[in-house]
Amino acid sequence: MPNLVRRSCGAADGSADMIDIDNLVLSYPSSTKPALDHVSLSIPEGQLVALVGASGSGKTTLLKTINRLNDPQSGTISLDGEDVSAIPGPLLRRRIGYAFQGIGLFPHMSVAENIGITPQLLGWSKPDIAARVRELLALVDLPADFAARTPAMLSGGQQQRVGVARALAARPKIMLMDEPFGALDPLTRDALGQSYRALHERLGLTTIMVTHDVQEAVLLADRIVVMEAGRIVADGTPRELMSEKAEPRVMELMSVPMRQAERVQAILSGAAHV
Amino acid sequence: MSEQIASAWRLLPEYLSAHIVLSAAALGAGLLIALPLAVLAARRPAFAWPLLSFASLVQTIPGLALLALFYPLLLALSALSGRWFGVTFPALGFLPALLALTLYALLPILRNGVTGLTGVDKAAVEAAKGVGMTPMQSLWRVEAPLAAPVVMAGVRTAAVWTIGAATLATPIGQTSLGNYIFSGLQTENWVFVLFGCAASAVLAFIVDQALGLVETGTALRDARRIVAGVAALLVGTGLAVTGLARPNAASYVVGAKNFSEQYILAELFAERLQAEGANVRQKQGLGSAIAWRALVSDEIDVYVDYSGTLWANVMGRTDVPPRDVMLAELTQWMKEKRGVTVLGSLGFENAYAMLMRRARAKELNIRSLEDLSGKAGNLALGADIEFLDRPEWAALQKAYGLAFRDKRSFNPTFMYRALSSGEVDVISGFSSDGRIIADDLLALEDPRHAIPSYDAVILLAPKRADDALLQRALKPLVGAISVDLMRAANLSVDRDNDKSTPLAAARALESQIRK
Ligand SMILES: Nc1ncnc2c1ncn2[C@@H]1O[C@H](COP(=O)(O)OP(=O)(O)O)[C@@H](O)[C@H]1O
Ligand SMILES: [Mg+2]
Repeated sequence: MPNLVRRSCGAADGSADMIDIDNLVLSYPSSTKPALDHVSLSIPEGQLVALVGASGSGKTTLLKTINRLNDPQSGTISLDGEDVSAIPGPLLRRRIGYAFQGIGLFPHMSVAENIGITPQLLGWSKPDIAARVRELLALVDLPADFAARTPAMLSGGQQQRVGVARALAARPKIMLMDEPFGALDPLTRDALGQSYRALHERLGLTTIMVTHDVQEAVLLADRIVVMEAGRIVADGTPRELMSEKAEPRVMELMSVPMRQAERVQAILSGAAHV
Repeated sequence: MSEQIASAWRLLPEYLSAHIVLSAAALGAGLLIALPLAVLAARRPAFAWPLLSFASLVQTIPGLALLALFYPLLLALSALSGRWFGVTFPALGFLPALLALTLYALLPILRNGVTGLTGVDKAAVEAAKGVGMTPMQSLWRVEAPLAAPVVMAGVRTAAVWTIGAATLATPIGQTSLGNYIFSGLQTENWVFVLFGCAASAVLAFIVDQALGLVETGTALRDARRIVAGVAALLVGTGLAVTGLARPNAASYVVGAKNFSEQYILAELFAERLQAEGANVRQKQGLGSAIAWRALVSDEIDVYVDYSGTLWANVMGRTDVPPRDVMLAELTQWMKEKRGVTVLGSLGFENAYAMLMRRARAKELNIRSLEDLSGKAGNLALGADIEFLDRPEWAALQKAYGLAFRDKRSFNPTFMYRALSSGEVDVISGFSSDGRIIADDLLALEDPRHAIPSYDAVILLAPKRADDALLQRALKPLVGAISVDLMRAANLSVDRDNDKSTPLAAARALESQIRK
């Protein structure tokens, strides 16, 4: 299975890896098991990587370590060739779009202020920010008059879309998205997933998207990384992970959408016979 | 009654302005100190416990005691800084009151500040970091606005406490609405007591409403409410400040301890000084030791004290010389050792006297302290709050061995009540007290001369030693007030019906002196 777990090679051959993670180890003070256990991962520019794995496997921890919301005990991270530990945290984070798992909108700010916050921190002019907010609301398919609302006046799914818009606001080259579509209904989720994929391509973004949903991962991602207990246990294209050569455990995980589709099919055809 | 109300209203602008300025300054200082500490404690939980414990500890000290403690503390600090840097500062009045009230305001602001800041949704704080805010930006743009309603609730509590506790600033020489309460309690002028309580309550209510407007404003993010609330507070404080900042030319400060006779004499002095064209302020209701120290440090210019008190408490003497000898020695010692001028004796004594109801004394066949000593074991003593700690009481015990069945301390007014009602049999009264006539009391004789004489003497502060105006105004009072005149004046203020205010009593006394 050499092609399933691709080790970091970016630094060695000088290729243009956008995100280069090398041998990260991180333990939270309160627990004995490391949340990240020697994690290495290289992602070339333009790739959309889906990070999947059971709850508690370390997906969120990995994202937060990339933009230095967490500090690892050892290991290095480079973004576009630059070691992140050399960049002041706030400046680094203004360059990276981050959509939080818990959405994390500021309840005392309007939707427009939420979306415009990073540009504001970067010193954009007011008209530029206003224009950007209008653009992003349209992009995430929210009516323009939502700009003046507060987050409390939105549904969970609408809040999540604002969260994605906020992450995109300062035109980052790297997007870290932690279950960004979790609170959406299947229809919107599918639509927003696809429109994000299109955006990702159009803007040439590099994205890591955490998701529980293997089907979503298969449909949207160029590459799927599977985590388990703080380690990367599989890494490849959707096709590779579903191939015969994959580890049985990984294959089982990857075949969930298939099996579900078959069951749905069976039920529907069974019902037709009644 | 209506005369008392009218005189209460006349005093309101001065008392209220002083009260507002003091409370506002203390609350402002409390905010400036407590808010940064709250941020520190919220960020570093290790600091939270000691800070909150300290603030809670301060809160458990009774307000009056806290205020009083700052007086000796500042006195010592002022002496030190005078020696080292040549700068002294007043230990009486505004400064100690401000410091004590500021400490008092800390706890609610600190506690709500920490609760508010640590209670801010973790997701919002993490998001603040995630979108690229620095810790300061996160504090100002996210944590502070989200914590504001809780913090404001603490500020409201602090404001109400501070306004209430500011009434206790009177005994350390800071004018406040407490002046009504303290002088009213001493002279049993209940109109004054009620007036002071009501004024302070109304002020607290109005400030609380204005802060409530700010609080709902921060909670609802309604800038108009915040602006309205803050504007109301600022305008009120501004008016109070301008009310206080009246021009006061060469102004004299007349001190008074906390009983009727002192209030009357202070009013008498003030009237006379004003008649000479001076601008006069009064610091009323001072504790005995505080009044003396305030005079020595030039914080008040003149007050009346009693020779025996000074003899024992200030000079530390335990011998009891005859009245004239004591007065002469006292006058010389004061001048040489403390720079204080004893202008002269007013002409009456306000000596400690053991008082009994005349009927009761007759029944027990007691006329002197010697008679009393054999029978004290069956009798109860009522004393004023200072008496049992004073050297005079020790001297009495030494001379007569008075072992009472029971000893209780009272506010002077209630002490007389306790005697009339038979709750106690003997009290430590004062020989110039009008109630001796009114209640038909007997002052027990002191055949062994254990109690020194207590001539009422006019004391002038060191810096006023050669002040011509003070001499002109007050010298004529030397020897002019007999004990009967003083008793009558005291009675007119202390009695229950047809009470006079100290000012009215002072004017009546003045007309008697002129005769
Ligand atoms: N702030 C924290 N303090 C201590 N342990 C944590 C913290 N955050 C996460 N963990 C633990 O680290 C492990 C990985 O968590 P996480 O990265 O959130 O997983 P995932 O996002 O894959 O569900 C889990 O065992 C979790 O309990
Ligand atoms: Mg997670």
